Amino acid sequence: MRDFLIRHQTPALLVAGLVIAAALGVLTGNETAQVTLTEMFIRLVVVIGLWVFIGNSGIISFGHIGFMGIGAYAAAWATAEPSFKQIMLSGLPVFLQENQYPFVFAILGATLLPALVALLLGAALMRLAGTAASIATFAVLMIVNSVYANWDSVTAGSSSIIGIPTVVGPWVAVGFAAGAVITAYLFQISRLGLMLRASRDDEVAARASAVEVKRMRLVAFVLSAAIAGAGGGLYAQFLGILTVDPFYLGLTFITLAMLVVGGMSSLSGAVAGVFAVTIIVELLRLAERGVPFGSVTVGLPLGSQEIGLGVLMALILIFRPNGLSNGRELVWPRRAPTDEAAARKAPSAALAGEAAPSP
Amino acid sequence: MNDIPVFVEPPSLGVDRTLTNAAKLAAEGLSVRFSGLLAISDVTLRLARHEILGLIGPNGAGKTTLVNCLTGFQAPTDGRVVFGEEDTTGWSAARFRAHGIARTFQAGRLFKDMTVAENVEVTGVGLGLGLKAAREHAMALLGWIGLADKAQAKAGTLAYTDQRRLGIARALVLSPAFILLDEPAAGMSDAECEELMALVSAIPKSFTSGVLLIEHNMRVVMGISHRVHVLDGGKTLAEGSPAEIQKHEAVMAAYLGMEA
Repeated sequence: MRDFLIRHQTPALLVAGLVIAAALGVLTGNETAQVTLTEMFIRLVVVIGLWVFIGNSGIISFGHIGFMGIGAYAAAWATAEPSFKQIMLSGLPVFLQENQYPFVFAILGATLLPALVALLLGAALMRLAGTAASIATFAVLMIVNSVYANWDSVTAGSSSIIGIPTVVGPWVAVGFAAGAVITAYLFQISRLGLMLRASRDDEVAARASAVEVKRMRLVAFVLSAAIAGAGGGLYAQFLGILTVDPFYLGLTFITLAMLVVGGMSSLSGAVAGVFAVTIIVELLRLAERGVPFGSVTVGLPLGSQEIGLGVLMALILIFRPNGLSNGRELVWPRRAPTDEAAARKAPSAALAGEAAPSP
Repeated sequence: MNDIPVFVEPPSLGVDRTLTNAAKLAAEGLSVRFSGLLAISDVTLRLARHEILGLIGPNGAGKTTLVNCLTGFQAPTDGRVVFGEEDTTGWSAARFRAHGIARTFQAGRLFKDMTVAENVEVTGVGLGLGLKAAREHAMALLGWIGLADKAQAKAGTLAYTDQRRLGIARALVLSPAFILLDEPAAGMSDAECEELMALVSAIPKSFTSGVLLIEHNMRVVMGISHRVHVLDGGKTLAEGSPAEIQKHEAVMAAYLGMEA
């Protein structure tokens, strides 16, 4: 057991951190804190999904918020009030219109539908490389957005879907966040993960090492879309009301900022980025609302949030291009053993790219 | 350098390697045209197992283009590459490697952010090994090539000559049928060249792999090749034993004033 934990200490520490954060939030009893935390954990699921593809393949994707939206709508179709669906979403298949499915099925749908879409789109997109692939993923975001904004009989178009049971609180959200972290970790240390990371470092050499690069990318694309979709499903059942608007540029920017700030090349970086950006955005939001000084309220102008986030991202890119994590994985702080001893004791740490943690 | 241990292949690992017993790799009338420019034209070359074939020629002679064709990185405009009795037309680069045709790169092209061991493991995994088997095989190869003590270092931190050796180790995973080395001695000192020569000479016997060696360093090529193939301006200029090539008039003319 002890060896197992030492070997897989990175996901163990990350999950422990998440659970502690959730527990602290719940203990405060503060409604706002719990809502903020829940939202953060949901975003964490989405960002981890994004990381599975971006972190391992090295290709930036602008399309994953589209997959999140697909997941959110899938969950809404499964769980919204049948009376509402029969009137407003008359284009849905009858089995969805007439029934209200439990949470588990909703999340299953929110995971599988985006995965299916990613498989179909990815089969074409993953033939592209580098910037071309990134721009194509941006096209995915725009297409998903247009389809969902205009397909009135299925998505209620520009009005909203209401009557979704709100069953997602901090504990459910943190459970999924932990699941996402573990899934991403298992992928990272798998054979597929190793091959994909090789193609990230040098695609040509990876092909010369018998790696079918396109196939590896497609697998990661589908898995990451599934995780982001699950995040969308949680989001729908957290808000209880759904429109297309949130699943577009704003959220794409924030989630990518989280990856950049934390450091894209490590799983710990993705988690750290979500925490750091959430804290900063919340502080800026407070500052925008203003702090009362006697009879005067002093606050930052509206829009400071976005500007602050943009400045932060630029600063990180300039001064710490590998993000807060500097490309490393989280390990238990201890005296640095010799490289060889570390390699013998903790092969997974070596796998993650750091043989010995810094003291 | 007589103490290089003979490499012992690990027991069968459930990888389909039916073609790796193929006896030859051949270019048949290969031509490659880049937007009107003929990079190589009508080149025919045959590489057998257990031999080292030197490939020389002035810069721009088409040596790397030929290697790219022979490893699936460049589709020929005309002609074909034959592996054993199979026509390889339409094969991906990964498929060439899966069938036992390995290569190194002039620029090294290591996975810089990964460890030395991982660099080698990737090929094992790409060929179908499990992580554990790939790791054990990688360590055995690194031991053979003299990099075992650096297994956990990041590949990007290696000294230049070690990077070259790692590139070769990566290509030797699961004893390929053929290995194509693109200027492995570039930038090496005389002493380092000696070591490299011993290493490359040992490959046909230890791994039962045929070697194609692109190299500018004449001492290296003439020292260890069994045959030498000369390209000039994309065409075959001559082929023969090192002794014949060194006396060949057209080759001398092509190299006149070009010897670095």
